[in-house]
Amino acid sequence: MATTLKDQHDNNNSSIIRTSEITKTVSTSEGQLQILHPISFQVKPGESVAIVGASGSGKSTLLSLLAGLDEVSSGEIWLDNVSLHDLDEEGRAQLRGAKVGFIFQSFMLVQSLTALENIMLPAEIADLKDPSGKARNILEQVGLAHRAHHYPNQLSGGEQQRVAIARAFIGQPRILFADEPTGNLDAVNSHKIEDLLFNLNKEQGTTLILVTHDETLAAKCDRQLVMQAGTLTEKKSDAANYSREAS
Amino acid sequence: MKMVLNLAWRLFKHEARRGELTIILLAIVLSVSAVLSLSLFSERLQSALTDKSAEFLAADAQIRSSDPIPETWFEKAQSEKLQVSRQLRARSMVFGGEKMALVDLRAVSDNYPLKGHISVSNKPFGIEQEINTVPQPGHVWLESRLFQLLRVELGDEVEIGDARFIVSEVLSEIPDAGFNVFATDPLLLVNMADVSAMQITGPGSRVGYRGYFAGEEGDIERFYNWLQPQLNDDLHAWSTIKDDESAVGRSVATAERYFLLASLLAIVLAAVSIAVAAQRYSQRHFDPVAIMKTLGATQKMIRRVYTMQICFIAVVGIVLGIAFGFAIQHLVVMLLADKIEVALSVWHWRPLLIAIFTGAVCAILFSLYPLLRLFSVPPLRVLRRDMDSGLSSRSLQFGAAGGAVFLLMWIYSQDLKISAILFISGVVLVLSLLVVTFGLIWLGRKLGAGRIGPWQLAWARIRRRAMDNSVQLISFSITIMLLLVVLVMRNDMVAQWRAQLPEGTPNYFMSNITAQQKNKLEQHFADKEVRVESFYPVVRGRFVAVNDEQVNTRVSKEDEEPSEGREGLGREANLTWSNQLQRENEVIEGVWHANEGGQTQEGTFPVSVESEIAKRLDIKMGDKLTFNIGSEIVKTQVTSVRKVNWQTMQPNFFFIIHPDAMAAFEPTYITSFYLEAERKADITALMQPFPSVTLFDVDASINQLRDIVDQVSMAVEFILVLVLAAGSLVLIAQVQASMDERQQELAILRTLGAKGKLIRLSVIFEFIIIGMVAGLMAALANELSLYLLQTQVFQMDARIHVEYWLLAPIVGALVVGLLGALGCWRLLTLNTTTLLRRMV
Repeated sequence: MATTLKDQHDNNNSSIIRTSEITKTVSTSEGQLQILHPISFQVKPGESVAIVGASGSGKSTLLSLLAGLDEVSSGEIWLDNVSLHDLDEEGRAQLRGAKVGFIFQSFMLVQSLTALENIMLPAEIADLKDPSGKARNILEQVGLAHRAHHYPNQLSGGEQQRVAIARAFIGQPRILFADEPTGNLDAVNSHKIEDLLFNLNKEQGTTLILVTHDETLAAKCDRQLVMQAGTLTEKKSDAANYSREAS
Repeated sequence: MKMVLNLAWRLFKHEARRGELTIILLAIVLSVSAVLSLSLFSERLQSALTDKSAEFLAADAQIRSSDPIPETWFEKAQSEKLQVSRQLRARSMVFGGEKMALVDLRAVSDNYPLKGHISVSNKPFGIEQEINTVPQPGHVWLESRLFQLLRVELGDEVEIGDARFIVSEVLSEIPDAGFNVFATDPLLLVNMADVSAMQITGPGSRVGYRGYFAGEEGDIERFYNWLQPQLNDDLHAWSTIKDDESAVGRSVATAERYFLLASLLAIVLAAVSIAVAAQRYSQRHFDPVAIMKTLGATQKMIRRVYTMQICFIAVVGIVLGIAFGFAIQHLVVMLLADKIEVALSVWHWRPLLIAIFTGAVCAILFSLYPLLRLFSVPPLRVLRRDMDSGLSSRSLQFGAAGGAVFLLMWIYSQDLKISAILFISGVVLVLSLLVVTFGLIWLGRKLGAGRIGPWQLAWARIRRRAMDNSVQLISFSITIMLLLVVLVMRNDMVAQWRAQLPEGTPNYFMSNITAQQKNKLEQHFADKEVRVESFYPVVRGRFVAVNDEQVNTRVSKEDEEPSEGREGLGREANLTWSNQLQRENEVIEGVWHANEGGQTQEGTFPVSVESEIAKRLDIKMGDKLTFNIGSEIVKTQVTSVRKVNWQTMQPNFFFIIHPDAMAAFEPTYITSFYLEAERKADITALMQPFPSVTLFDVDASINQLRDIVDQVSMAVEFILVLVLAAGSLVLIAQVQASMDERQQELAILRTLGAKGKLIRLSVIFEFIIIGMVAGLMAALANELSLYLLQTQVFQMDARIHVEYWLLAPIVGALVVGLLGALGCWRLLTLNTTTLLRRMV
């Protein structure tokens, strides 16, 4: 399947994410360990893609490379036509600030800031106008207007993740990376979060890259990529889908 | 920039409100307030004590001269805003009726003394009281024993030179009388205006002149700089309270050193606490930094946000610290108001500047490395929680911290020696501790194996967190060591002071006791229940030659202008003989002439010479000294040189001759006794059967000295308490900080169902082990720094303090263990969910 993905990446300038033969190798006490084998694929704007796979298969590593949180050992990554692999840490941070949103399994809210301030944070970092107004709006959209001045530890897990989603969307990112967004939540909250995530995604036309091992959640995405021992393959049914769209 | 400022301020505000910054803020508040209160308090004390000891010079500075002091010098001093006063000293005869006596005459100008007071009493040996004037022209004030010697009473007339005077007061005390109990001539005070009338300053007369100056230290220094080129070493001697070699001068100088030491240690304590707090601060901010970086914050932005935050913390900490420090010292001064004369109104800027500087330098330099670590936290930490900072150079951390401490100590003390001693002891301690920590890890591997119990858990933790523990161990050890240094130093110092003047130190001396009177006097005093000390035989003799070379020229200068406290060697010296070495006398060269010995083949007798006088007169071991006693010549040979502690209130002698040499002479005896203050009135009855015996009342001098020593000890005690309090707070902060780091592990153990007792015991054992090792290491390092401090800085005799080798580990284990238990107890009162949530 990897071959299929590789074939498709050429001449596709409309892709928002494009990777070419990316690998990741780390040094261990027992020598070099290759976590990711050459991976090439493309994602179209507005698409939602689930990366699924067992624990330790390399999902999160791939996500960290795509989001520019880590550097590739070899290969190239293009995010919205910017060559991520050529950027240094500062450049990658700026790119993230301008085009990327994140949602994490452990919410990753700044504990010393209120819900509202956590949401304002990316807008402030990107120096957007009226971060407070924007934050209030989106806080209302996620149904937490009444919790604006609460600190993360005063919120339930579901609420914290809603704040995280609001924070992710405030800058109207072109791409949203979500790492097991419902992994820490119960079934009811999981559904709420999923709905919120997909609705906002649709509304804003954001590209969603979602790492999960929740098959139901993965099924809601346009495509599913399977990570297995550092190798990425497209799930069959979806591959057909993808071929159809690509053509 | 505005956004960065906003964000930094918001983070600061929220974190402060949520208690996230409490530890680092407390550390800065603690350091600033400790440094401020200690240095402000010690500066105030120092000026109070300097004032007090200035009383012994009767001024802040004094010039002694054997020629009249040029009037231009006084004019210049006055133009430098100094107060001036003049004195003329002479040995002169005073005649009263049929009797006459040789006196130590002091003619003083109207504003004498510039510092201290003259005391008089209404009758000889009566209760003294301060008086603010000097004798009127035509009047004379006589010391008590002159009334005995001259058989005069108040209102009678006496004659000095060509002038007649009315005796109008009994002189009890003048500030710069000196402490020498052998100042054989009684004091007599007249007005400067009468000098010309007396005609005692003619050619051949032995007259000394003194100029007294008082004012601000800077003004005095400026005046001295102007004066110095004009001083002639053969004629003039300049001295300030700092050159004061008397018991008081030395006590005050030692106390000043101690205050400096205590303040330096407070700075180091402050530095340690800020270092610990900054490390914790940095670790707690790894996540927010990673999040912000993930959300697009650049390195530059992060740097600005957190540097600003540290600045906010520093500013708030410094302001609070100043307020708090000022309050503490105000409280202390108020509590001590009736015990120590500290001028509250005097404000010293230096301590304030030092406190601010310390707070700022500590906050910046000690946060530097933790902040650099913080800046280099990779954004990937949001996904991989175990990722630490990219920066981990301990040498940079230790280098920056060590450099900052040394810089602070040096700037503050302006004394390279004392700073270097403390710093070197610290470095030796840190290096040994690193070795010990790794030794412990090795030991822990042996001991920690086997079934999991509290001991095993404790060892396992110590082993696993080797590097963190070594930092913790170092900070505990340094804290304990500093406390030990301050404590032991104080004990040794106060003990030394107290030894100078034990309770019952003789406050009266008697001389001119004849051999016939000796036994009668002893019996008489015993009947009156007054214990008399040993009797020393004395004959007056002239020291005439060294190795048959006449010494008149060499001693003439001493003769004309005897220095303070050394007047025993004049044209005539008090010679004594004994086979017994006196207390506080130590033979530093040669052998003490015990019973054997006696006359040598060359016809000389052994003599023991005091080391200072030997140096001054260039007398060496084996030199032949000739004394002229009455019409006899006594030839002696130097067989030993003694170091004498002049600070003891006992008769001391420059020359102690072998008894065989003196058998032919009829000595008089001197002795001393102690009389309680309430029995002062008995003195007349005690002395009445022995009218020819001369009595010296040194009670006032002793009380003055004891007063100073008491005040200084009290002040030192308070400084000790302040440092102990600061040190305890630092220990608490350290335990608190490390408890935080244990939170996660406790949460996991708790979740796994470990019993509270197991967790509690394991934490307590861990802290006990750390406390014990820290205590032991601190005791060893304490020994090193004390040895260096006492021998190099305080000029004291160093000794080993074995008791602390045992005490420090025990107290360290107890205190650190207890603090650990308390911290742990707080964590265990939280439920597991809260603990787990805190881990996020």
